Amino acid sequence: MATQKIPAKRIKREEYRRNVQAQQESTDAVIKMPQKKFFRQRAHANPFSDHRLEYPLSPAHMDWSSHYPAFVDPDTSKTNLSGGRKLTKEVEVVDIGCGFGGLMVGLAPLLPDTLMVGMEIRTSVLEYLSSRIHALRSQQQSLKNKAANPSSTEPQDASTQPESAESTVPAPANDDEIGTEKIFPGNFENITAIRSNTMKFLPNFFGHHQLSKIFICFPDPHFKARKHKARIVSESLNSEYAYVLRPGGLLYTITDVEEYHHWVLRHFLHGEQPEGAAPAPSSKDLFERISEEELALDPCVQVMKYETEESKKVTRNKGNKYVAVFRRKADPEWPA
Amino acid sequence: MAGLQHPFQCLRYVNRQSAGQSDILIATAGRNLYSYDASSGQRLDVWPQPVDANAEDKSSDAAPASESQAPPEKRRKLSSTTEEQKDAKSESKPKDSNKETSNSWTNIPLVTVAHGKYVVIMTSEDKCVRVLSLDNEGKLQQLSARTMPKKLSALTMTPDEDNILAGDKFGDVYTFPLVPSGEYVKVQAPAKSYEPSATNLTVHTKRNLESLEQQMRQAALSKTNQSERVVLNFEHQLIIGHVSLLTELISVTRPADTTVGKRNYILTADRDEHIRVSRGVPQSHVIEQFCFGHTSFVSSLCVPSFEPKVLISGGGDNYLLVWDWLENEILQKVQLPGSEGETTVRGIWDVSLAPTTDNAEPVKAIFVALEGSSQLLCYTLESDNTITHQHTLQLSGNVLELVGIDSRGSILVAVDTLRQSDSTSAWKSSSQPPLESFRLSSGKWIPVEDSMVIKINSEGTSSLPTTIEQKEQKELSDSMYNLGNLRKRGDYDE
Repeated sequence: MATQKIPAKRIKREEYRRNVQAQQESTDAVIKMPQKKFFRQRAHANPFSDHRLEYPLSPAHMDWSSHYPAFVDPDTSKTNLSGGRKLTKEVEVVDIGCGFGGLMVGLAPLLPDTLMVGMEIRTSVLEYLSSRIHALRSQQQSLKNKAANPSSTEPQDASTQPESAESTVPAPANDDEIGTEKIFPGNFENITAIRSNTMKFLPNFFGHHQLSKIFICFPDPHFKARKHKARIVSESLNSEYAYVLRPGGLLYTITDVEEYHHWVLRHFLHGEQPEGAAPAPSSKDLFERISEEELALDPCVQVMKYETEESKKVTRNKGNKYVAVFRRKADPEWPA
Repeated sequence: MAGLQHPFQCLRYVNRQSAGQSDILIATAGRNLYSYDASSGQRLDVWPQPVDANAEDKSSDAAPASESQAPPEKRRKLSSTTEEQKDAKSESKPKDSNKETSNSWTNIPLVTVAHGKYVVIMTSEDKCVRVLSLDNEGKLQQLSARTMPKKLSALTMTPDEDNILAGDKFGDVYTFPLVPSGEYVKVQAPAKSYEPSATNLTVHTKRNLESLEQQMRQAALSKTNQSERVVLNFEHQLIIGHVSLLTELISVTRPADTTVGKRNYILTADRDEHIRVSRGVPQSHVIEQFCFGHTSFVSSLCVPSFEPKVLISGGGDNYLLVWDWLENEILQKVQLPGSEGETTVRGIWDVSLAPTTDNAEPVKAIFVALEGSSQLLCYTLESDNTITHQHTLQLSGNVLELVGIDSRGSILVAVDTLRQSDSTSAWKSSSQPPLESFRLSSGKWIPVEDSMVIKINSEGTSSLPTTIEQKEQKELSDSMYNLGNLRKRGDYDE
């Protein structure tokens, strides 16, 4: 009888999220952007626990068709091992721990023809990002309709140029809460989000050498030494990143924790060796660090530094940002 | 025989004919390791020596100094409390006087053999990898003991048999030399005072800021207590890691073919349905393949010595998968008796026996046992690399382990002497012989009377105390039948 009183905040949150869900199912109106405050979740998840995850039996069983409807192969006879429609191209960029999706949304217009996926272990956060992408796509659709039909209402937005020839710097015209009034290349059809524990199941989603870029942005620092095993960067996990990353592919990292930055460097690069001694073979052999000059030319680094939710928080806090990007080298020759 | 006796848990056949010596059978039962003459069944040695005689001093001579004061028997959970605290706790606990011995393990679940003259074992509760020498007379003597950070789930050797490969329940695979080379000097990090890696630039909430300040104060207070962990205090390398419970680890050599030379691989399996194919040491950081097809944990991997391209795998699914493992190609799905969610594969063994007078053809057989089942499934590997079920053998107890005895053209099966057939918990009232032997005769495996087996069975293994409490019974049963715990329960969390 003495039922626990449900906090008002939670009731409100649940109601809001139900509405967002309902709005997505109806197709008539332009969908409003979801609000982050209703999707907050504790910043940590235990990567060792089973959770209740859904993951494909193998990459060949992964059905991407609902994630990228604009890229579904028109040939209906082409299906994957689980019967889903095939895409015209493969997913090749992954944001591990994408959070609220700032990086995905920032990268989408930069690489409009590249399929990208954000992976996140926390359900609420993932729900937000899925709603956000859905809303962005719907907004783009209505903007495109308007542009094609200028006779309709609101003729004043002359700034809206379809497929605007944007410079390499992404315009911050896209507000998290309001959405955008601009048409972006790709119309956000090339990004999606999936709930997953990549520490366990990354190879279930992506095949050998499938990816061209992996992003690890502001990972959970797991400050305590006995939690270091839960860090997303480790020599043994780096072997898995190397497995899914093609030779020449890039792995981007950014953190505001200096110690974590050194941890990243330590786990991707060989330290100084005593004279004459070769370093012990490890997954460090599979990566090399990219120079500052090369980074300066990479627009993805700018997005990573300024567009992600966490990076904005760090900027507000006047914190430091440490970037390290590594290139996947070719596998070593088999020993004779 | 009266009373209950420990069943054999591991069997290894040591072929030493090339060295001009007689073959030896290695077996573990309870907390002991036995060596037998493989032709007469004569027991050659027991390790550790029984404690009642003065022999104890003798056995501990061989052990390193730390061995003589090993902590009392204690089942440890894989929990996150610090090792130091735990060690201190267990040390201070009074020794259990009811127990026969004060040693630190109750069973030896993993055994492997190197160069025909070393036996490598893991003793269970103390998580210790021990290397013993096996001399010409079959005597066992401990050469080294190395403590691992977590309990191991698999133990094998690199193809050159000079290095041990050990996979643990935390998903890590280590390699270290069979014989430790010289004195290991631990690379000691300069005593560093604790410094929180978070700074007031990296934490954002008020509460976190407060706790950071608290940490800083704490760090300033306690700069002294930096006790060293005793684990991994030897030369070693971490070569593979799964973020999952590692269940199995095998080392495979693919012989040279027309396009590529001889190549070594390491195959690992985990609780999250994965089978991973990595290159062999020293390139084990290069993952070559994943074999996807199981929908429950994988507990057994078998690459037949006579067909190294093929992998047979099983676990919590009620089927086996036969693979071309380098290509992630399923060649065959083999249905097993029992329903989904209940059937668990305990072991898959490949046996190849040289032709004998009874069988002109060499024997190439695959055997499969299910957890808590007294049936043994017999298969043959066909030329198209699929397996065919021949027949099913009924044994007198649950099948625990199997080994082929080349010199006799037979197989030895270890059966559970304690639990009733087809039960993992109900106990028998008296023991039966721990070993059964079979030989192939016109396409069927038939029981054989073997003087060697009769000899081993007549001597038996170590006895359990005459009165054994229910709780201890359960503990013993759980340590013998623990694969069911690998099944996921689907707990809900966010």
